[in-house]
Amino acid sequence: MKVEQALRLLPELDALTPLRALLMATSRPDDRVVWARAGEYLTVGKREVTAAELRRQMAQTYTRITEHLSGLYAAYVEAVERLEAGAPGAAVAALLAAAHLEERVGRLSAAGRWVEVAQRLAEGLQDRRPEVDALIAGARIHLALGRYEEGARCYQRALVLAEAEFDQAGAIRACRGLGAVATERGEWAGAEAWYRRALRLAESGNGPGLAAGIHHALGELASRRGDPSGAVEHLRQAREGFEREGDAAGMADALSTQGRVDAELGRGAAAAAAYREALAWARRDADGPGREVAIHLRLAELHLEGGRFLEAEEEIRRAEDVAIASDQAPRLAAIYALLGRSRGLQGDETGFVFFEQAIELARTLDGSQLALAEVYTEYGAFKQRLHHPEEARAYLERAGEIFEALGGKAALDRVRADLHRLSA
Amino acid sequence: MSRSRAAPPASVASPHSAEPDRRPALRVLAVGAEGSSGPWHQLRQWASDEAAEFELAPDLPRAVRRLSAGGRWDLVFAALSDRAEEELAWWTDALRGVDGSPRLVALVPKPSMGLVLRAENLGVLDVLTLPARREDVVRSLHRLRAVAAETAVSLPQPDGETLRQYALVGESPSMLEVYKLMARVAPSTATVLIQGESGTGKEVVARAIHLNGPRASGPFVAVNCAAIPENLLESELFGHEKGAFTGAVTRKMGRFELAVGGTLFLDEIADMSLALQAKILRAVQEHEVERVGGGETIPVDVRVIAATNRDLKAAIAQSRFREDLYYRLAVVTIQLPRLTERGDDLLLLTAFFVGHFAERYGKRINAISDRALEAMRAHRWVGNVRELRNVIERAVIVAGDSTLRLEHLPEELRSEEVALPGRPVGGLATLAESEARHIARVLAHTGGQIGAAAEILGIHRNTLTRKMREYGL
Repeated sequence: MKVEQALRLLPELDALTPLRALLMATSRPDDRVVWARAGEYLTVGKREVTAAELRRQMAQTYTRITEHLSGLYAAYVEAVERLEAGAPGAAVAALLAAAHLEERVGRLSAAGRWVEVAQRLAEGLQDRRPEVDALIAGARIHLALGRYEEGARCYQRALVLAEAEFDQAGAIRACRGLGAVATERGEWAGAEAWYRRALRLAESGNGPGLAAGIHHALGELASRRGDPSGAVEHLRQAREGFEREGDAAGMADALSTQGRVDAELGRGAAAAAAYREALAWARRDADGPGREVAIHLRLAELHLEGGRFLEAEEEIRRAEDVAIASDQAPRLAAIYALLGRSRGLQGDETGFVFFEQAIELARTLDGSQLALAEVYTEYGAFKQRLHHPEEARAYLERAGEIFEALGGKAALDRVRADLHRLSA
Repeated sequence: MSRSRAAPPASVASPHSAEPDRRPALRVLAVGAEGSSGPWHQLRQWASDEAAEFELAPDLPRAVRRLSAGGRWDLVFAALSDRAEEELAWWTDALRGVDGSPRLVALVPKPSMGLVLRAENLGVLDVLTLPARREDVVRSLHRLRAVAAETAVSLPQPDGETLRQYALVGESPSMLEVYKLMARVAPSTATVLIQGESGTGKEVVARAIHLNGPRASGPFVAVNCAAIPENLLESELFGHEKGAFTGAVTRKMGRFELAVGGTLFLDEIADMSLALQAKILRAVQEHEVERVGGGETIPVDVRVIAATNRDLKAAIAQSRFREDLYYRLAVVTIQLPRLTERGDDLLLLTAFFVGHFAERYGKRINAISDRALEAMRAHRWVGNVRELRNVIERAVIVAGDSTLRLEHLPEELRSEEVALPGRPVGGLATLAESEARHIARVLAHTGGQIGAAAEILGIHRNTLTRKMREYGL
């Protein structure tokens, strides 16, 4: 049975989310389709799944669910225990640990609810540092869901509290978060100011371990504002810092940004080398698969820019394999949107199937609005390339409405520029 | 670093010979923390005795950095941890695109049969036991030199006449039969059904019929029925009115309308619902369609060519395909041969694709090595011409000079060389080893799914599970 048929039998219940992931992870392409023309357009919905295989792997899923729930329950019990022992700060930390567990499996809304509880508890404490931690955790989730206004408010409040409590590490994280929000809003100067403030604090001796991350953020910002040369020095310092600290995830992120900067500077071979090394670092990190998928996609974009479609699509398919096997379904929407872009660049009308699949996947995601808006933007560009201006406009307008509602000004500006070009 | 890649196989010189070593220098990178994964200084010495330049990197990320830093590399010795199988896949990925297409030799304390077979599937040159022994290391270096000793074979020029007339390449008797049938059917407006395995060129044949028919000046519109989600296929074929369903943001013409005056090619025709088959039948019979959400009947004057890789008669017997539609479509049936049934067409097609992609990627390639050709002739080509095209495109991208070599081919074509630990190269496999290899191949084919593998192997899944345990798969 095809995955799309099997999914139609599955009601959209929170409790069944792991089963949905299992269904995708056990699926495989139909042998007859792999080399058929339809194989080029294969999406997760067209893969085959069998009841026998689902049953066989069910035990592993139960184990994963049990582990996850045990982690949550244990965190809760610890919070109660800490409160009983008169250590409310530690109780907040336990609740935030539960939030982190939810975040790691992509359940962002659930993570947000744990943070809310932690925040309520922290607000009544004399020591404000637990509240700083809760606010920062909440802000990060808002950001991931594309809720920039709420994210900014949390970071601002965290900063005020951290400064009042002389919590330098908290202040650094809050400043960095505010920089990230400003970046998403396209407020480049504001973002730089926040990052530089965070860097000053980190370099003043109170957060040496955080400096590499801030250099990376500054490098990323320079790249996004169209100044790749300005990113080079920051990224060098970020890499040195991360490598010194043995931070594999940091190295993977810094090299991934380095790859993009090299690509922007027209250094294709250096970009590919940076991405390859980034992949190697990502594989040393426990949270690696999500990062690995993102790097594969950047490498694919590099190939697409060079017109190397075969290599690009092979790279995207590698990302798809990792995403399906490691329960990274939320990434699939981005994966199919990029496959759609590749087909559009080749003038292939049938590429629309990837966008339809991406839309369907994005709708089922936590934080779906942001993902949906990204897919609509790509779909609009696809229709534009294939000379369907009316459809292109319709998709871009939908994307614009979502970005506007979320407060994502940088993305909104991009969409408006596309719409403007369409009218010209 | 410049050196010949096509040098004859070197005889094995004594490590302490006074004669100057004329063997081409190999460049070797060993990867593993100094001290933790074995005697690297010994490995360095053995490599040096075999005229190999030797470097050391502490781990995978730094090895990737070293390999990308420039120059050609021939071989990587990597000490794997207890996540050996996963690491093998990472290494395969990491070595892709590295200058010189270096081969991997995995060093593992206790290699299981499962790991060796996984290595085989990934094109790993050798799996050695740690602590490494001199004879094993030397053997790997010799095998690499043997692989590098390839002779160039000139590629033929494809026949221009064939290319011009049908845009098809091939002179095999089975293809000549196809050409004859195409020549008879092209001038008519008869509906044609093209059957053949995936990748045999059904769309190319359909396009050639269109271009040689009376509607050549009209459009050729292709629809892949298996690629399009079921819920969208109807609107794709027949069009829709604005607002007919969620997502119908504008009014849209269907493929039938877009093909008016020309040819509509319905690929993978067996992959649609019976309800949609009924609508196709009506469109083919009545020459009219209705857009989804619209009431207007639109006349469509199109020639329909359909194709499938499935057995439609079996589908009819299982009530999955309408018999009346089958007879409507199969006025003339063309059966396309598999690539493996086309003999020397393999070489002609290779030459054609090499020319095509060399032009696209700005390269000058006019030969293929004997070993590469041998590997291609031995391959099963389940994806037929499409798979060949893919393999050649990839090879052209990575080729550095005018000859395509074995090293440019994908892992699955050069994977036969991996040796089992402790068994001399070229030694015959035991029955158990052969069985284990075959089981591993089938499991790789099914993506590790035991039920599907057991079905292919024709044994009960419990038997397969037992054998997998026995062979450490």
